Amino acid sequence: MNSTLRALNGFGLGARIGERLRIGDHRAWLRAQLHATAPVVGPPAEASGAAISEAVHAFRTLRQATPQERQQARRRLIQIAAAESRAVLTARVTSERPFVERLVAFWSNHLCVSVGAKVLVVPLAGSYEREAIRPHVLGRFVDMLLASARHPAMLVYLDNFQSIGPASRGATLGGRGRGRAQRGLNENYARELLELHTLGVDGGYTQQDVQELAKILTGWSVAGLGPDDSAIGFAFQERLHEPESKTLLGTRYREGGVEEGERAIQALCRHPSTARFIATKLVTHFVADEPPAAAVDRIARAFRDSEGDLRVVSSALIDLPEAWNDNARKFRTPQDWLVAVLRAFDAAEVSEATMPLLRQLRHPLWSPQAPKGFGDKTQEWGDPDSLLNRAELARTVARRMRARTVEPRGLLDVVDVSTADPLRGFLADNSIAADERIALALAGPAFQWR
Amino acid sequence: MNRRTFVSNMCLGGLATFGSPVVNFAQVKQPGRFVFVLLRGGFDGLAAAVPYGDPAYRSLRGVFAFDEADLIALNDTFGLAPGLAPLRDLWQRGELAVVHAMAIPYRTRSHFDGQAILETGIDRPVGSSDGWLNRLLQTMTGDRSGIAIAAGMPRSLTGPFDVQTWSPTQLGAVDDEYLGRLALLYRSDQVLHGRFEAAMQQQNLVGEEPMAGGGARRGGITPLMQAAARILKQDAGPNIAAVEFSGWDTHANQGLTGGALDRLLAQLAEGLMAFRAEMAQAWANTTVVVMTEFGRTARPNGTRGTDHGTAGAGFVIGPQLARSVVLSDWPGLHDGALFEGRDLKPTLDTRAVLKGALAGAFDLTPGQLDRVFPGSNGVRGTYGLMK
Repeated sequence: MNSTLRALNGFGLGARIGERLRIGDHRAWLRAQLHATAPVVGPPAEASGAAISEAVHAFRTLRQATPQERQQARRRLIQIAAAESRAVLTARVTSERPFVERLVAFWSNHLCVSVGAKVLVVPLAGSYEREAIRPHVLGRFVDMLLASARHPAMLVYLDNFQSIGPASRGATLGGRGRGRAQRGLNENYARELLELHTLGVDGGYTQQDVQELAKILTGWSVAGLGPDDSAIGFAFQERLHEPESKTLLGTRYREGGVEEGERAIQALCRHPSTARFIATKLVTHFVADEPPAAAVDRIARAFRDSEGDLRVVSSALIDLPEAWNDNARKFRTPQDWLVAVLRAFDAAEVSEATMPLLRQLRHPLWSPQAPKGFGDKTQEWGDPDSLLNRAELARTVARRMRARTVEPRGLLDVVDVSTADPLRGFLADNSIAADERIALALAGPAFQWR
Repeated sequence: MNRRTFVSNMCLGGLATFGSPVVNFAQVKQPGRFVFVLLRGGFDGLAAAVPYGDPAYRSLRGVFAFDEADLIALNDTFGLAPGLAPLRDLWQRGELAVVHAMAIPYRTRSHFDGQAILETGIDRPVGSSDGWLNRLLQTMTGDRSGIAIAAGMPRSLTGPFDVQTWSPTQLGAVDDEYLGRLALLYRSDQVLHGRFEAAMQQQNLVGEEPMAGGGARRGGITPLMQAAARILKQDAGPNIAAVEFSGWDTHANQGLTGGALDRLLAQLAEGLMAFRAEMAQAWANTTVVVMTEFGRTARPNGTRGTDHGTAGAGFVIGPQLARSVVLSDWPGLHDGALFEGRDLKPTLDTRAVLKGALAGAFDLTPGQLDRVFPGSNGVRGTYGLMK
């Protein structure tokens, strides 16, 4: 295995032609990317805070609108998401710190929201990644989790914004709420916070803990969704908060308003199961579908010892011996594959025409079917039809790229193939059209791995 | 050499040399076949299997009440919408069960939650990301495999059991030489070669006719159902398939005979009949179940459509049925009978019907079926439905 290519493809987002000769020591190249916080991306003009709030208001105050007005309001929400998607994909394709962009994508998927779940998530998903995830990928996990918990996208996606403490003033005095909002405790977010964000499904919590955590988090809600409010943002609504003390994982939380939830989230981040669960996910993402136990131990220890310092944890990933042996490889997800194709051609930006391709590859941004997020294993993406899809897409892309005069043999720079691999022969064979040779490199098995 | 001959040569050689656990084509399977057709969007059961004999029907449905003369009467109470006329043939052969007043086991009017429950086969929207078809594959024994005939992997098939996918080509054809060279490259990849060859073989089985992308609205469901049949009827191919058909969220202008909804129903009926024809002899052991995430409001809304409701209708189709039947503990449509005063009241659990259909399609015990639908021990399958 070529370690430089592993760094460029497995930790980064895909090698560019010529890049493997430029980067020198592969570990040093990766480590240097971790020196500062993740670069800021956007927001695109269409997705400023004011634009999002305005579009959401327009959509929420539609009661008497005509079908055309309704459609127009909906379209505005979709335009915001499209602008955000393009900005993020362009960042992935053009980044000089691709390891950091991969980390953004990883954490955004770990604490995912989904635009497929609720219309309101559509305009918020991009800002969620920008505001709650990106600033913390080289910071502390607890800060990322707190930012996620407070973000309107997450509060809406997993329903916490309408969770009401059964004994709260809002439930006992509030009478009938507006609309058809459910009145009462909603455990959705609390459950996923335990199961998917921190401890993991076998992390040692009970249904009782889910309920207690849900009570602790009552009142964590969203401002700016009513007709009179202005900016969308986090709001703690004391009147919806469940009074009295709660017990989570054996610890008693005395009544303390919003601070109760903050303490609970901090405790979840310190829980040993969280270190192990996150380590397993990281090693699975960076090393192999079957994560080697020793590597998981090492990352879990780095997470615990550093109290969830993600710069330390990311650096520990680089130091894993298992990340550099012959068994270390991962099947590219469709997003990874497409980004790697565009990086190989040194594309300067991601055009609007790229978005439908991600849909066709079943992997648009921020759209997992379930709160578990998209998977990243061969079994989830390497089905026969997907391979054929990539074969066809590679042919189309290669035809478009021919104008750029890419020398087909240059693509040997971006894939790890043995000296005996028939791809070498094909790429050198002038009797095959240049665009077909390019497509063979992009659709062939070597390019499907990172 | 055209694609077809090329692919068969390659596959015969390929599979003999590289038997792969991923691809089950080379093995002989049980005779049973099962297809789950999911109508996404919440299809209006009251407009498909019409309770024209219910005394409250006409006043309740108002602008949507069909003329009795337009319906295909099944008995004194129920008739099929005109768009479903092709299914009359199935009814007469004893191959059609219309299931009514059926709902998922959880009250929700959210597409997201409703589909999640229908597809995961559990009784709440969170708690399992595995689909029940995948759990079925895990639970069955013997040679078996599943395939999604859909543009994306449906939740129902998601899970640890490896399944395949097939969707109509959307990007234009690729030539044989290119695919041949790719096949050669894939031979040296131990993990992927079996998958790539399976893709080529599916491509071969379903032929090279260009198919409209997306399935539903444009070309109807027929090309997808025909493709499914060509894949399923092979002696050694998948025996379980999931097909999706979207566009049923008829909030506005759903119409009557020849209207928007009726045209969709016609596409559905045509697709089902095309599937039956294409299956040929293999039809004898095939069962098709058609379901949706929820029914729609009993009354029309202000935009000549219907809103998200609760119970609705579905179909179980195939020669393994005991007889043609309308299976329903009919709650009635009078005011007091409606769920929350607005929807058809659920009296039958989707899982009961699925259990019944599966028990007829495959050799499965009630205990195994309880594992396919965790937490459903108290839900008795409609086992009398099948032979």
